[in-house]
Amino acid sequence: MIVRLATHAMRTRFELVLAGEDEVHLRAVGEAAIDEIQECDRRLSLFRTDSLLSHINAHAASEWVRLDEDTFELFSTCQRVHAESGSAFDVTVAPLMQAWGFHGERGDTTAAREAVGMEAVLLDNDRCAIRFARDDIRIDMGAVGKGHALDLAGTVLRDHTVTCALLHGGTSTILAIGAPPGESGWRASVGRDDGGPVAVLRDEALSVSGSHGRVIETDGKRIGHVLDPRNGEPADGAALAAVIAPSAGLADAWSTALLVLADAQPAAHVGLTAIVTSGSRPPDSRLAAGPRRDQFEFQTTLAATRNKETA
Amino acid sequence: MNPTDRRTFLQHTAGTMAAISLLPALESMAAIQLEGPLRIAVVGTGRQGRAILAELQKFNGLEIVALCDSDESRLRSGLRRAQGAEGFATHAELLEKAPDLAAVFVATPTHLHRRIAEDCLAAGKHVYCEAPLAASVDDCQAIVRAARDTDTVFQTGLQSRSNPIYQLARTFVRTDAVRDLVSLRAQYHRKTTWRTPAPDPSQEQARNWRLNPDVSIGLAGEFGTHQFDAVNWFVNDYPVEVRGAGSIRLHNDGRKIADTVQCTLSYNKGLQLQYEATIANSFQGRFELFCGSMAAVKLSWTAGWMFKEADAPTQGWEVYAMRERFHSDDGITLIADATQLAAQGKLKEGIGLPNPPLYYAIEDFLRSVTQGKPVVCTAEEGLRAAVIGILANQAVITGDTITIDRSLFKAE
Repeated sequence: MIVRLATHAMRTRFELVLAGEDEVHLRAVGEAAIDEIQECDRRLSLFRTDSLLSHINAHAASEWVRLDEDTFELFSTCQRVHAESGSAFDVTVAPLMQAWGFHGERGDTTAAREAVGMEAVLLDNDRCAIRFARDDIRIDMGAVGKGHALDLAGTVLRDHTVTCALLHGGTSTILAIGAPPGESGWRASVGRDDGGPVAVLRDEALSVSGSHGRVIETDGKRIGHVLDPRNGEPADGAALAAVIAPSAGLADAWSTALLVLADAQPAAHVGLTAIVTSGSRPPDSRLAAGPRRDQFEFQTTLAATRNKETA
Repeated sequence: MNPTDRRTFLQHTAGTMAAISLLPALESMAAIQLEGPLRIAVVGTGRQGRAILAELQKFNGLEIVALCDSDESRLRSGLRRAQGAEGFATHAELLEKAPDLAAVFVATPTHLHRRIAEDCLAAGKHVYCEAPLAASVDDCQAIVRAARDTDTVFQTGLQSRSNPIYQLARTFVRTDAVRDLVSLRAQYHRKTTWRTPAPDPSQEQARNWRLNPDVSIGLAGEFGTHQFDAVNWFVNDYPVEVRGAGSIRLHNDGRKIADTVQCTLSYNKGLQLQYEATIANSFQGRFELFCGSMAAVKLSWTAGWMFKEADAPTQGWEVYAMRERFHSDDGITLIADATQLAAQGKLKEGIGLPNPPLYYAIEDFLRSVTQGKPVVCTAEEGLRAAVIGILANQAVITGDTITIDRSLFKAE
């Protein structure tokens, strides 16, 4: 029995595919997972004036803002990836996104660049609270929100004994629970081309960031929505970055960082499996890094396997 | 003043009234400063209880010291949202062991409100009780009596009354901008099974109380109560009778509770409210629509619009107005604090509340507790709203037209 559910949140479409025996139970659990995604959207949306994130952006410069444990852990993850990626990942890019015109009219990108800095985001573990050390800090959780929502939804599914499910947010972030019957894992194509690699996932997540994603045209140039927080410029060193991680939030954060860095090795150094492509040549296994590179199946490998089987 | 004079007077003053009516919202927008620490408990940590916890975290000067839920996994989930709070399985244990508790938020299933509210009030706690107040008229009346017998604050969680957009819109409906009301419409549309999964089969029935005809007051009771209250508050009246119908349109899974209901609530002088609730379709979500001879006001919980007739007089404040196109109609967006924001050139930034409506209801409650402000929605008002919701559900079940007996609004 397969049950499919979907919802619109975080300006994209989330879809859940659940497998099991009892349709009524699966649908009820799926709806509870969707409720988590919706609640996450209400908490982390930059575009809702009544979200927790808007509250944080409005008040954290003047006082400690108390958080629930899930949101606190998410900010802790963001801080960790910021440090491990050499500042290539930074959720304080909201002023830059605004200045480049991703949230409306363009502004002063030089001034916006000065406002970016995760170092000015303070977390108090004892109080489970957040504060900004500067009053120009604004957070945009767009790079990790979908993954975090999928992680929370996945927890609901597992708590209710769902052992086989695939969840995605906008097809760019995927969370796999278990594997389809008779398979080693859920198979997900990476990238838009048919010739792209296939990731095989089981109880883990995949996130793909690409320069082909949301784009705007400015000064006659098309620029992607991932910005390099270190210099304030659009990240254009890589065409695509894909990361396999234990959680979707972590995968999301690292795929953004790797697209900025145009290098898969930094993720491999923290034990994750990743691939970064430049677009100048078809992806192959040499572009993958990390402890489980064989999780990415490449067309050349597949073709070779098929040829071998045929022979 | 004869009727013509009155109308002329209102036409001339409506613009001023609208501008003035925007001002009271300024006060409610100012953050409440609690001298605290005010020690708070939440009983019931399901979805609504967790939403309450999220909003409580925004207030300085209060401390969430205790949570209660008989369902262990829900209690754990609640405790992740309130660091340092102690968890209890029963409200009796909570009242006994959580010291110096000032106020309790009750967010359990509707049919369990009475006992908890009575015990908390008897223990001298201020109580914020979610709406509907209870699932039976008897239980609602008992809560009203218990609230009346104490000096503590009791607020029913009918949030429209605290929602700044609804407060603003009410001034338009209550003044001459809308003029004579000709029809009322409201709906609650959402696509869901209304089923709640349980980690353990033994909890299945308790979690799915909404689908249990023995305790559930159906869509008309659970959703309708909130919307009927908003309409009654706006028109300053209560319906005299209700007729209803309901059926299962989508969720043929053995349930007895209708997934789609229609009700007609009749007011004095022929005014009628057409109400529909369904969990089989989500189109247009929740809204209340007040159609008058000069304008219609549409409210959808976190947003509101006014649609003017072509022959309606133009008001001075309209130069500030933000407009949205709805097919062939232009809606003027209702923005709390519009006058001040317009003066600052920030009117566009004012679209959308800075907090969810629940925040404002909690803030009103805290103002009553700490500053002695009048309660925005009393137990008596909660009783009246619940009676109408309960009778509407009966009308849906029986298909009968039911007279709304005003004596039920009293708790002697």
